[in-house]
Amino acid sequence: MINKKNILKFIFMIVFQWALILLPINSYAQNTSTLPDWSGVWERYEGNGGMFDISTTKPPEGRAGRPGVRQYPPLTKIWEEKYKKNLELVAIDRLPDPISVCGTPAGFPRLLALPDVYEFIVRPEQTWIITENGPNIMRIYTDGRTLPEPDDRWLTYTGESVGHWENKTLVFKTISMIGEKSTILDRSGMTLSDQAEVNARMFKTDEGLLRAELVIEDPIALTEPWYVTRHFRRLMTGTRVYDYACAENNRNPITNSGKTLTLGPDGKPIDIEF
Amino acid sequence: MHCQKNLLRKIITFAFLIVNADIAHSHHSSAMFDKNVIRHVDAVVKEFQWANPHVWIQIYIENQNGKQEEWSIEGLGTNGLFRKGWRPNSFKPGDIIEIKFNPMLDGSSAGGFIGAKLTNGKIFGRW
Repeated sequence: MINKKNILKFIFMIVFQWALILLPINSYAQNTSTLPDWSGVWERYEGNGGMFDISTTKPPEGRAGRPGVRQYPPLTKIWEEKYKKNLELVAIDRLPDPISVCGTPAGFPRLLALPDVYEFIVRPEQTWIITENGPNIMRIYTDGRTLPEPDDRWLTYTGESVGHWENKTLVFKTISMIGEKSTILDRSGMTLSDQAEVNARMFKTDEGLLRAELVIEDPIALTEPWYVTRHFRRLMTGTRVYDYACAENNRNPITNSGKTLTLGPDGKPIDIEF
Repeated sequence: MHCQKNLLRKIITFAFLIVNADIAHSHHSSAMFDKNVIRHVDAVVKEFQWANPHVWIQIYIENQNGKQEEWSIEGLGTNGLFRKGWRPNSFKPGDIIEIKFNPMLDGSSAGGFIGAKLTNGKIFGRW
């Protein structure tokens, strides 16, 4: 029976259904308009030393991979011993960088301290950190999802990341990183365990730098939270990003003993000691 | 003695950390290079390999016996070098260049690139 009450009820239902449909779209549009501009191409700001934590590096201008150069995170006793052993291996060129094999990612959080350039792709539902010196694509989900349950995740190079936006600041947490088994933080030989977790805040500073504030916690490697800050500066408009095919002409294979060889143009080792 | 102009000119330097920026943070450790030694030689380019993870300049250097030896000089990757002004044809076969590099610790015929100067005065890397 068609009466005024039923007509109003029908109109209300139509409006309600459309509201349900349009609500996410409106929300998406709103998020898009309030997201920060991290477009363009960026590079790391903290020099070319390659040390992951510049603030605790000694000597202060020391470069990763040079004998005697190290950083001083709040390491547990067992991890300090591991780090010292790695430093000794670095000194005799027997600590190969996992990424030297070409093909595996540097992983997180090391991917915030790589050479070459970066892109930070900001979308409402996720942010991608793409490193030219790859392969590294880190996905930080900001669509409201939670971190996977233990049965739904496994250790990976970049781990699992979820976050949210607080005004123009990306706040995220990363867990489930593969750790010392397959990654290092820099060529001084610093590593973390697979129990490490990172809480991070990323935002653009008044100076136009992109700042990443990391709080690293690791019940096996660290006695207390390790605070590390990394910055990136935007390169000039028009800067391009290129392929990085590490295996294209890799003339530095690693031997089983961990020595980095140097191959001649004929593919045979040049090294006299080999 | 007349060959000495073309011989390797070995310059012992103090290991200023910044000196080796072009070979540091390549895709592998640079521990095989002697950062305390810079060799500055005249050379003829045999081949320029513009590829990742490292570019390689194959050069001929005259040894102490007056014979030409082929050396392999390793640089950074193509992408960063391109942004510093390098191009795939920056070095052509037959180019006569002056080149500086950190030699291998074991004395083998390779090194880590520091800088090069072409006969037209163009400079790549640090000079």
